[in-house]
Amino acid sequence: MTPVVECLVAFLFGSVAGLLMQRSRFCNTAALRDAIMFKTYRNTKAMLVAMMILTVGFTGFMSVGAGHPLQFDVGLNTFAGLFLFGIGMVLAGACTVSTWVKAGEGNIGALWALIFTFVGMFLFSLVWSASWWPPAPQTMTGQINLPALQLGFANAQTLQDKFGVPAIVFGLAQTAFLAMLYRGILRRERAQHAEHEKHQKEHQKKKAARAAAVEA
Amino acid sequence: MEFFRKTLDPIIALAAIAVLDIFMFLLMGAWTVGGGETMMTGLMAQAVLGDELQRIPFWNIVFPPHADYWKIYISLGMLFGAFVGAVLSKEFYWRVPRHLSEWVLITIGGLLMGFGIRLAYICNVSTFFGLMPEMNLGGYLAMSGIVAGAWVGSLVYKKLLEGDA
Repeated sequence: MTPVVECLVAFLFGSVAGLLMQRSRFCNTAALRDAIMFKTYRNTKAMLVAMMILTVGFTGFMSVGAGHPLQFDVGLNTFAGLFLFGIGMVLAGACTVSTWVKAGEGNIGALWALIFTFVGMFLFSLVWSASWWPPAPQTMTGQINLPALQLGFANAQTLQDKFGVPAIVFGLAQTAFLAMLYRGILRRERAQHAEHEKHQKEHQKKKAARAAAVEA
Repeated sequence: MEFFRKTLDPIIALAAIAVLDIFMFLLMGAWTVGGGETMMTGLMAQAVLGDELQRIPFWNIVFPPHADYWKIYISLGMLFGAFVGAVLSKEFYWRVPRHLSEWVLITIGGLLMGFGIRLAYICNVSTFFGLMPEMNLGGYLAMSGIVAGAWVGSLVYKKLLEGDA
């Protein structure tokens, strides 16, 4: 595909995704934050469903060598970077995706977050140019490199090559695990609902008792 | 149209996005955000600094700025799609944070997100909807990182909320 066609496909995908996220108020930050802070799971459930579909789809196609998986070495920087990102998205109240979506709805705060995301990236480019860490893509080896705190490259494809078992098998195992998480959330929601109903009933009973006392 | 009057179930929305994402994975690669933003940062820096930018090795070696990088257009598409959705459902209006504290939090949050994305080479979307479904080792590292970060962030946020009250 030519770069122009790629850009068009990407724009089309982005537009549909942006529209669907705007209409559903889906937010990745909320998927994590609300589960942690408020024990509500509206967005968490949607995220898990998408992850299950994608795991089956991606590993399925990877089993036959189709698709374009991400290719780069991971290591301590992967953990540390997302740790900083996790703090940042809760403070900003939006992740990179929802900042674009919210900016599209006219949210100036989201636009401000985006601008400082750019600034943060530029600051990192200066830090990297002094530290040269994590390794640039060209110097990535795919192998464990402990002095550089790198664990190399591994995904469903490398698992398939190593164990001779199709990638989809590993994918189905991961999907089963995600499904278990999903069921756990549903169970928790039912328990919350039952608790809520109990409270309401007690409240009504008290109200009735008080009314009876007043009448008497 | 009904679609623009009622809030869509996020499970349906994300399931549809996931199916589309599989098609894009077959053509180019999974949905990611972060690479496009980095390229935009580089293009903007180039517009301001010109050839001076070449003196920062990062922009020579890791991300030489060029405008025909497809990931840029995912992000612009999301902005466009959300704008269309908001206008058609009459939900578009200017929202401006009221308190100085909000501006400060957003600024710090944005900086941490930008710095974190580049340190890790990925953001949260590629973690959950790219690396994890590809069963990349980095997905599990990133997942642990973001959950730990969101937890710390939530603690900080709660403390601040209590401080305000």
